[in-house]
Amino acid sequence: MDRLSHPVTVALLVIVGVLMLGANFMVFLYAPDERVMGAVQRIFYFHVPAAMVAFASTFVMLGASIAYLWTRRRIWDNLARSATELALLFCALVLVTGPIWARPAWGVWWTWEAKLTTTLLLGLLLAACVLVRSYADSAEKGARLASVLGIVAALDVPIIYRAVDWWRGQHPVVFGPGKKDPLAPEMRNTLSFCLLAFLSLYALLLLLRTRIACHEDRVQDATEMLGARGESA
Amino acid sequence: MKSYSFLFWGYNVVWIGIAAYVAILLRKLKTLDRRLDRIERRLSGERKDGP
Repeated sequence: MDRLSHPVTVALLVIVGVLMLGANFMVFLYAPDERVMGAVQRIFYFHVPAAMVAFASTFVMLGASIAYLWTRRRIWDNLARSATELALLFCALVLVTGPIWARPAWGVWWTWEAKLTTTLLLGLLLAACVLVRSYADSAEKGARLASVLGIVAALDVPIIYRAVDWWRGQHPVVFGPGKKDPLAPEMRNTLSFCLLAFLSLYALLLLLRTRIACHEDRVQDATEMLGARGESA
Repeated sequence: MKSYSFLFWGYNVVWIGIAAYVAILLRKLKTLDRRLDRIERRLSGERKDGP
């Protein structure tokens, strides 16, 4: 059987496609305009799920990095590598969509406000994890360094979450301890649906990226076995 | 056109970008699958022929 027709992959592809179409429908045709900000507030349905998925992926990276340092099994490094790249992807989406909203809302594209600065720091740390793996002397050393750096990067997530409370920044806080839910039911439904769409997209990407990493390992091992017999792949 | 048509197109550009990324991953996985199959066939063939 062709490995691409793996039933979980096919099912996730269909689910993600349907959810993405549904998310577009809900964002543009179902959710009402926000009274003060108007149309640009609809970025919220993209920005917030992207941030949540970036944080979730950072925690997956944290778990896999600790497991790798503990066991030195390559499967954990493959998972950590995949989660790092995807956390960076979604963090980049957050850092792009945020300024698009900030320009009309605050009048500036960027401000060195606590939440924004710590999010940028997370993006830079994730990029460093990716680069460390690419440029280390050996794959094993790269995996070890990236795992340690990944644990440091994950420590930034709770700081981002509480940044506005700790440093009184201007970033809006919609959810949090002691906060009353300010969203209209249609807005809450749309946000929940978009979060579901992003999570399913993340599951698909993580599955594909981790399988690619595992396949690359197997190809490398098999090529080395052929090489040991004096043949080339 | 509604005033948020720029947002609609912006969203869709990102969805298309993500779909392209998924397509690239699928293609890469398929290439690796074929390469792995080829190498494993050679390795298993050798084992059968070997002493």
